[in-house]
Amino acid sequence: MMLRVRFHGRGGQGAKTASRILGDAAFNDGFNDQDFPIYGAERRGAPVAAFTRFSDGDITERGFIFSPDIVGVMDDSLIEDPLANPFAGLRKGGCAVVNTTKPSGTLLPDRKDAKIITIDLTGMALKMLGKPILSSGIAAAVARVAGVSEGSFLKAVADELREVGLSEEMVKKNVEFAMAVYGELAPLTLRTEELPSKLELVPLAVVVSGEGMEDVTQTGNSAVRHTGNWRTYRPVIDYRRCTDCMICYAYCPESAMSVGEDGRVRIDYENCKGCMICLTECPLKAISQSGERGLQ
Amino acid sequence: MKGTLLTGNAAAASAARLARVDYVPAYPITPQTEIIETIADWVREGTMDAKFVQLESEHSMMTAAGTASLTGARVFTATSSQGLLYAMEMLYNVSGWRAPMVLVNVSRGLAAPIVLEPDHNDVLAARDSGFVQLHSETCQEVADLVLLAYRVAEDRRVMLPALVNLDGFYLSFTRERVVLPEQKEVDKFLPAYDPPHPVRATKAVAKGSAVMEGFVYSYFRYNMHAAALRAKKAFSEAARDYRELFGRDYGPVEGYRLDDAEYVLVMSNSFTTLGRQAVNRMRERGVPAGLLKLRMVRPFPSEELAALLRGRKAAAVFDQNLSPGSGGILFPEVAASMYHVKGRPETLLPVVGGLGGKQLTSDEMTSIFEEMIAVRRGEKAPEPMFLMRSEELAKAKKAVALAEGEP
Repeated sequence: MMLRVRFHGRGGQGAKTASRILGDAAFNDGFNDQDFPIYGAERRGAPVAAFTRFSDGDITERGFIFSPDIVGVMDDSLIEDPLANPFAGLRKGGCAVVNTTKPSGTLLPDRKDAKIITIDLTGMALKMLGKPILSSGIAAAVARVAGVSEGSFLKAVADELREVGLSEEMVKKNVEFAMAVYGELAPLTLRTEELPSKLELVPLAVVVSGEGMEDVTQTGNSAVRHTGNWRTYRPVIDYRRCTDCMICYAYCPESAMSVGEDGRVRIDYENCKGCMICLTECPLKAISQSGERGLQ
Repeated sequence: MKGTLLTGNAAAASAARLARVDYVPAYPITPQTEIIETIADWVREGTMDAKFVQLESEHSMMTAAGTASLTGARVFTATSSQGLLYAMEMLYNVSGWRAPMVLVNVSRGLAAPIVLEPDHNDVLAARDSGFVQLHSETCQEVADLVLLAYRVAEDRRVMLPALVNLDGFYLSFTRERVVLPEQKEVDKFLPAYDPPHPVRATKAVAKGSAVMEGFVYSYFRYNMHAAALRAKKAFSEAARDYRELFGRDYGPVEGYRLDDAEYVLVMSNSFTTLGRQAVNRMRERGVPAGLLKLRMVRPFPSEELAALLRGRKAAAVFDQNLSPGSGGILFPEVAASMYHVKGRPETLLPVVGGLGGKQLTSDEMTSIFEEMIAVRRGEKAPEPMFLMRSEELAKAKKAVALAEGEP
């Protein structure tokens, strides 16, 4: 029996560590494990995927998991992201564990054949860890659903987080966080079946029928790629205190601030990634942070 | 007869001048140095209207060449051996940018041990870089292929950099008759370069951007492959114009006494002349021998080669290079071209020789035909030949003994 798990998160949320914790935990339970991440250029906030396969026999697969039994979605903004496409290929009878405050019925209305479990991991993490780091939480949710034993799992959390250099205090908090998540869910018996798919290979002559040496000639197109959904927190300007000193405007690394005709700074929330440099730099503390997606 | 005595290096420099190149970034290395010295002199004297810059390495030289080409300048540069390897990272970038500059490589064996005379491990290390590769046998060919290279590289169907190879010493420092075309005729053959969306200070354009995703990368790489394959047609068309203007005829491959040939030697570059001589000697002995020269190495002229080799009794591939642990580099490419061809030669003999410019006697060259015949008759197994004469081995052993201090 092999179980294939695909985690989707954003750079910095802990998808890679989650895949390793789950892999460790299954390994501790005596399974063979294979885990790995894909994270491109390691940009914080950019979509990341990580994978865990575990099996009581040999694992004869490698690479991207196209047909997961379980997907762990660490950020519900990824659901709308065509590049992340977190539910793609989820097997019939499979399970999606989603970190969200949205009702489960709204997330994947077309897939009555799959089980959707929602849990507010960000809220729990902020409460218990003080940071929206979700590796141990999402790993706990998936491990529980997959039926990994508690002892193996908690050892895996501690081992992996020590390995990445967390302090003993943070390791302890993470173990508590993981236990809380683990306790909220119950194991599922998954009988899954791969979705039917049809391969359509494109002949080389079709691939190369265009110019094939296109350059980037369109200027200013980075604004087209909205990165506002990377935010955990949103900066908010209090215009009563703001003196238009423009320091935030100068420091914004994303050019997500502009100056309106009235001379006041505006934040482009479609592209602001929520780095909060503006908040840090504002000499008058006229910028505050507000949680996204129901966070406080 | 027309023409002047020119070295291969002078022929390369002359062709660059005739091509009216705008920019020559350079770095010297034996046996290429004479090319850039010649160009530097001409630029200084004012007899060549180009910007000449000496860079601090071949890596920088190639970077400057590729980026300048992207601005729409016609760019020429030259290197050799270790220099080509030092520039190697940039070769892949320049081709990926689709920058149609021309690079002359003067072949020289690679270190270690250090040697100055030619073999083709240097140029074949760039085999997979996306550069169109044209290899010359004579100094005349050097000049002609540089001009043809610009036409092919700048052809909108291709838009890839091109490399023209000439052997160190045996061409680079060898003087022979070269007929240089008239400037006004060259101008007809090679009009000014018209770049697609060039990099300009007034208009933003990004070339060779990061794509991150494998499928986008594949799209561009497949397109490079297709462009390289189209270089064959572009070359043939350019060669037709060249023949009409200048009377010299060039194909991707060239046959010598192939009509009724049963035993064919496949080879490239300057030692091909020795191969022709061997063919003639075998013919005098009544053996139907012939030769097939590879002029174009990238794109690889598989169909042309297969068409000329089918129906022959045996062929030998002379590789003046060595991939340790495999053998000659071109042999498997020739074999792959023949694999699905009906009537392919039953015997295909791999031969390695001429490494580091190792001299080849005429008997050594004819021994390749003798070996082909023996293998074909079943008297010998088709094992690779590695050419070395007994007196050469004796001299090598003597030198080694001296080095190791034996009495």
